Amino acid sequence: MADVTNAFKATVKAVKSRLKSQGNAAGDSVTNILPTAKHRGEFETKAREVTKSITKLRDFLLQHRKDYVNAGSLLSGHLSSMSDAERDQLDNDAQNIIKTCRETIHRFRQEAQKQKVHPQVKEHRAIVIFVIDAYLKAVCRIYSEQKAVRVKRVVDKKKISRLEPDKKRSHVARLQTGHKAEEAAGVAKKDTRATGEKASRPQTVDLPPEKPSYEDTDTDISPEEAQMFEQENKALYDEMNSMVEDVRQIEGKVVEIAQLQEIFTEKVLEQDKQIDMISTTVVGASINVKDANEEIREAIKKKAEFRVWILFFLVVCSFSLLFLDWYNG
Amino acid sequence: MASNLREKQTAALKRMLNFNAPQTKANVAEPQWKILVYDRFGQDIISPLLTVKELRDLGVTLHLNLHTDRDPIPDVPAIYFVLPTDDNIQRICRDFQNGLYESYYLNFISAISRQKLEDIASAAVQSGTVQQVSKVVDQYLNFISLEDDLFCLRHQDREPISYYAINRGDVKDSEMEATMDIIVDSLFSVFVTLGTVPIIRCPRGNAAEMVAEKLDKKLRENLRDSRNSQFASEAAPGQFSFQRPMLVLLDRNIDLATMMHHTWTYQALIHDVLDYRLNRVEIEEVLDEAAHSPSRKPRTKKKAYDMGHRDQFWLTQKGSPFPTVAEAVQEALDAYRVEEDEVKKLKSAMGLEGTEDDAAIGMLSDTTARLTSAVSSLPELLEKKRLIDMHTNIATALLDHIKHRKLDNYFEMEERMMSKSTLSQSLMDIITDPEAGTPEDKARLFIIALICGPPMSEAEIDQYCTTLQASNCDLAAVQYVRRWKSYSKITATPSMYTGGGVSSTGMFSNLLSKGSSFVMEGVKNLVVKRHNLPTTRIIDALMEQKSVQEVDDFRYFDPKLLRAESGNVPRSRAPFQEAFVFVVGGGNYIEYQNLMDYARSRAPVSPKKIVYGCSDLVNATQFLRQLSQLGTEM
Repeated sequence: MADVTNAFKATVKAVKSRLKSQGNAAGDSVTNILPTAKHRGEFETKAREVTKSITKLRDFLLQHRKDYVNAGSLLSGHLSSMSDAERDQLDNDAQNIIKTCRETIHRFRQEAQKQKVHPQVKEHRAIVIFVIDAYLKAVCRIYSEQKAVRVKRVVDKKKISRLEPDKKRSHVARLQTGHKAEEAAGVAKKDTRATGEKASRPQTVDLPPEKPSYEDTDTDISPEEAQMFEQENKALYDEMNSMVEDVRQIEGKVVEIAQLQEIFTEKVLEQDKQIDMISTTVVGASINVKDANEEIREAIKKKAEFRVWILFFLVVCSFSLLFLDWYNG
Repeated sequence: MASNLREKQTAALKRMLNFNAPQTKANVAEPQWKILVYDRFGQDIISPLLTVKELRDLGVTLHLNLHTDRDPIPDVPAIYFVLPTDDNIQRICRDFQNGLYESYYLNFISAISRQKLEDIASAAVQSGTVQQVSKVVDQYLNFISLEDDLFCLRHQDREPISYYAINRGDVKDSEMEATMDIIVDSLFSVFVTLGTVPIIRCPRGNAAEMVAEKLDKKLRENLRDSRNSQFASEAAPGQFSFQRPMLVLLDRNIDLATMMHHTWTYQALIHDVLDYRLNRVEIEEVLDEAAHSPSRKPRTKKKAYDMGHRDQFWLTQKGSPFPTVAEAVQEALDAYRVEEDEVKKLKSAMGLEGTEDDAAIGMLSDTTARLTSAVSSLPELLEKKRLIDMHTNIATALLDHIKHRKLDNYFEMEERMMSKSTLSQSLMDIITDPEAGTPEDKARLFIIALICGPPMSEAEIDQYCTTLQASNCDLAAVQYVRRWKSYSKITATPSMYTGGGVSSTGMFSNLLSKGSSFVMEGVKNLVVKRHNLPTTRIIDALMEQKSVQEVDDFRYFDPKLLRAESGNVPRSRAPFQEAFVFVVGGGNYIEYQNLMDYARSRAPVSPKKIVYGCSDLVNATQFLRQLSQLGTEM
């Protein structure tokens, strides 16, 4: 592959000098050194604006991606440079921008369809809008990936932090923020909250029975009762643990369901237009069928009438025959 | 080499569509839309490599032919991909004057001459659009790569370089020069795209020798011209191949029989029987079969299928004999049905358990996972189904043709003739059989018999000719072949086909026992024994540096040597690992398949990479027509 642009430019210079030497004033406006300003049509400027705004969004997301995802260790929650509130703010901003972009593209498409231009230009514009749309979708995917990673990390953090009882306070706080961030079904939410409370209870319940063993003076609780309490506590603790296992499974499933729902919504949106078309067609078809029924009823009635007339005509003919016969004979 | 010819060409095209700027690795790049303007040759080059969807992804909004009426779209850059012919240059100058686009990126498929560059420059100056011409590039992509190891030079406009044009009785020197120049230019582009300088071997005394000399000269000039050399940047890391490839130039006259041969492998059959151009098959499909009366012709619809290089089934099966393909399609269909049933079962399982709530959540443990995997694998399943349908349709169409024309008989007879074993049916029987095939098939069979069958006396040949004429065959081609045979010294050709043969298993093979939807009764299940066509034998001898009689007096060119004529002594005795075979005057999928089989069979011993190229791909019908033209002009 050989770039001969330089050779071309040299040739252009040679041609120009040749023309000048021939006395042709073909210089006209070509003598300006600065390149002529590129005139861009309205469509083109608008398209480029939209593209630029999507690019800005993309850069914004990528810039904050590192902080957002916080690819450090799971335990270093204190070192995160972004609090959850900031993350939510980022999410909201990004969503707003995406919504406005989508609306702009939609309006853009309608305007372009209304304009009267050459068919090639029209096709070109339609495809330009399509390309911008695809670009927006790609950027949205970055955003939703980021969000999915964040949710996953919160879930992971929860799982791991559950095994560390000394972080129980932040653990509870994280639980609550965790299930706020999840778009979980109502059942799972209830369960997590319930387990959250129950999880905190056995740990707080654990403390008091320990105390009496150190304090001999306060003998409100007899040793048998203490043992009973301990057994109760152990039973409760085991029960909670098993429930915790179940809940964890449910959370995993819920995340999968969320993924599935995302896939489904995507597909449903695609089929949106087709479904609308089908529904209008079906409505039209049912109206047609109703009309058809009416017509058939009419036809049956008319056929019956016609039959009556035929019979009458035959009877009249036969009577007239008989009459003529009687008359002649 | 890491990437092959087709990939290199695709990469070059993509770079061109990115305004010849290196592609950045950004995650999601901002789209820049552009308009692509091509001519016929550009269209042929681009269409096997990039689909319309891929073009859209690269930002191409419209793709238009150069010579159509184009509307001005004044604010979009336009990329031109054309050959620098006079017509095209004039049209480009007219575009400048009409001010159609915002900026122009001119990419010429082969190098543009100084004169034409001046023409464009003067047109640009006169219309004041010099600033708008952003880049002028010579792309050196003057060839069509169809597959990873198959390329040809022309598809549309193939007359100037066809067999007919080269072997005509009344060809003028200037025309011959022009034809040779086209071929040399294309071969040069191939090697520029690859970035290597090959060692050239060719036989003596025919068109291939002319091409070899010219190509050698052109490569030599380009290498010496250190300023503009195309091969200067050969020091790309990782691409250093220790051995240079070998380019073997052959002339079609070595082996006419292969062009006439009836074939039995999948891709070659499609090329022979159906309409197969630039990796696209067009067949006529019958609609509403149940509702037509015998008097009315069934309504047919033309359907086109693209045989892509991402189709796994196609890649594995394209060289297999036809019964194997039928079995494979059946297996693929069964596998697909199994997967489809699994998905359906999932649906019913979910439906039953979806009514119970919390108690059943535990049971849904793996169904959600299964559901996720099923949903994500659904698009793949659909794609597989589409491919299976496509292959089923194609194979059915092929089967119809085979049954109708009794192609299996022809194949068997020709194989037997080429391997000099006894014939099961005499030649006369087949020719007089009114049901067996079109007149063209009979003519082909007879030509093969002439070339490689047992020697026949003149009287016998005349007798055959009269019978052929009685069956409406055109005899001009036969006359030409007779004359050609007497002229050429290649009466040793029959011995080149030894080693072949067919064995046919019973008619009702185990295909039927598998309950196949392909009812192959009446069609013999022929198993092809491996044998080597003349081309393959020549390549084998050259690559292994064997000393075979026909190869010994091949000429040897090495453009990198300082001395102009190095004589005919090969420099190195080491066997070559990589070879490019180019046939001047027309090529065929049968030869291609044979070369591939050879390369594959030698792979465990010594890995070989063979790329096959030809000036254009002709199937037997087209070649027969060219022979007839030559015969009538005799």
